[in-house]
Amino acid sequence: MAPSEIHSLSQTPITAHSFNADRSQVAVSLNSNDVQIFARQGQEWKPTDVLSEHDKLITSIDWAPNTNRIVTSSQDRNAYVWQQTQDPQTGATIWKPTLVLLRINRAATFVRWSPNEDKFAVASGARAIAICSFDPEGDWWVSRLLKKPIRSTVLSLDWHPNNVLLAAGSADMKARVLSAYIKDVDKRPAPTVWGEKLPFNTICGEYTSPTGGWVHAVGFSPSGDVLAFASHDSSITLVYPGQQALYTIKMTSLPLLTLTWTTENSIVAAGHDCQPLVFQGSESGWELSGSLDDPSSNKSAGGARSGFGGAAPVGRLQSAAFNTFRNADSRGLGSATSGAGSGESELFTVHQNTITSVRPYAGAPGNVAQVSTSGVDGKLVIWDTTAVTPATGLGGIAGRLAAMQLK
Amino acid sequence: MDNFRKIDIDQYDEDVLLESELYEPDPRDPAQVLDDVKQKVTAVRSSLAKGDITGALDLVLDNAPYGPNVDEAKNINLQTLLSILNSTKATEIPGVVKALSTDAQDTLMKYLYKGMAMPGWGDVSGSVLLGWHEKLTEAAGTGCIVRAMTDRRLV
Repeated sequence: MAPSEIHSLSQTPITAHSFNADRSQVAVSLNSNDVQIFARQGQEWKPTDVLSEHDKLITSIDWAPNTNRIVTSSQDRNAYVWQQTQDPQTGATIWKPTLVLLRINRAATFVRWSPNEDKFAVASGARAIAICSFDPEGDWWVSRLLKKPIRSTVLSLDWHPNNVLLAAGSADMKARVLSAYIKDVDKRPAPTVWGEKLPFNTICGEYTSPTGGWVHAVGFSPSGDVLAFASHDSSITLVYPGQQALYTIKMTSLPLLTLTWTTENSIVAAGHDCQPLVFQGSESGWELSGSLDDPSSNKSAGGARSGFGGAAPVGRLQSAAFNTFRNADSRGLGSATSGAGSGESELFTVHQNTITSVRPYAGAPGNVAQVSTSGVDGKLVIWDTTAVTPATGLGGIAGRLAAMQLK
Repeated sequence: MDNFRKIDIDQYDEDVLLESELYEPDPRDPAQVLDDVKQKVTAVRSSLAKGDITGALDLVLDNAPYGPNVDEAKNINLQTLLSILNSTKATEIPGVVKALSTDAQDTLMKYLYKGMAMPGWGDVSGSVLLGWHEKLTEAAGTGCIVRAMTDRRLV
């Protein structure tokens, strides 16, 4: 199915994106040290503000919907909280940064506000997660570090709806559920399937990726009772701690980098295959049900397929590069003459490169009607979660994914 | 000069991540692993005699030896696997790889790459391995290759 909106924001990769509460503005980082805010004007996005304070690449952005604060993390080992205030001299509305003392000695890789927006978590390469809460006396954000038992860079985080538990996916090939309980901020949490007593740094679960891939993405289900994580071994795993059940889907396509739950029984996940896939299931089992993209309907967009031979396409073996070399070999064509214009390297998917972020766009948690994706191709795309192109069995999607890469 | 580059700085790090912590070790004893592998050789031979290639592959790929201290078992298993690969007709390969379980497909992919990394060793034939690789990728997709690369449980 076609996505409902496609916006090409830049020629550079979009490292992170986050919308404000009414979706009239979006904060993105265009692979630089600055955050660019765009405001919607009809079908267009107009650049409005630039938030520059970081002095290295920004890795993650999160815009709190209710308190209207933006938090950013960067490779410069810092995080900033940005708040809209009146400039005392000009009277204009500006975004004022507040530095957060993270106390980490490696890059900050990922940041997310907690559901109540009274604290946020910053993942880092220092084998630690900083849990930051506001100290009104000192008028600053203080951090406490979750360290044990993380053995490597933390790549992704997700908050449990109870504002206390935190899921973390890490390059030590494990997904963990930890307690980020802060005495001054949180009320005593009600018991969950993950545990009853939850002091700071309690480890409620530790799950290894099935065949040793970095855990790129983690996500709690809307109820918080199920954990999903996607890892670099092209698999996605669902954890049901109550039933002690674990479901792994080994995919035939390339690894996923990001995921979001749309209902209690469905997930949208995307990554190196450049299209958002839909997984559905329940405590009795999960499966890949289809894709929000439909590469086979976008054929015309890709221009004419190269039509050499009738051999079955095999993964990337039939890629543009492969054909270039084959032409050079069998027909004596140089690379300059074999190119058929810009269409040559175009994919049949909407996104033309890896999708690095998928986030809920419209609908309440547990009933998300639309999701937004951004990626290395500089596109921001909004998809209807109901418009699923079904996978006709695993073999079907394998065939289609292979065809998608064919060129 | 530049000798300092050869210093193993990890030994000064108390928190260093060790190779052994990267994957679950094989619960079996190395001697037991070797025993299992040797038993498979005859079982595989009788399967092959009956023309049951899928059955023979399943035997070899199930519980394949991995990790340290089992080099002999690894060599024997590779040898057994190569004997199956070399004796299969090209037209039969697609059906055989499709019949394998996902786990067996992943393990087979690991062996194919291992074989390609040691040309000239034993019965390794590049063209046979590439033929299997093509058909296996058609059946199991690029995900199978990715898993062969990420898995630290080297066969």
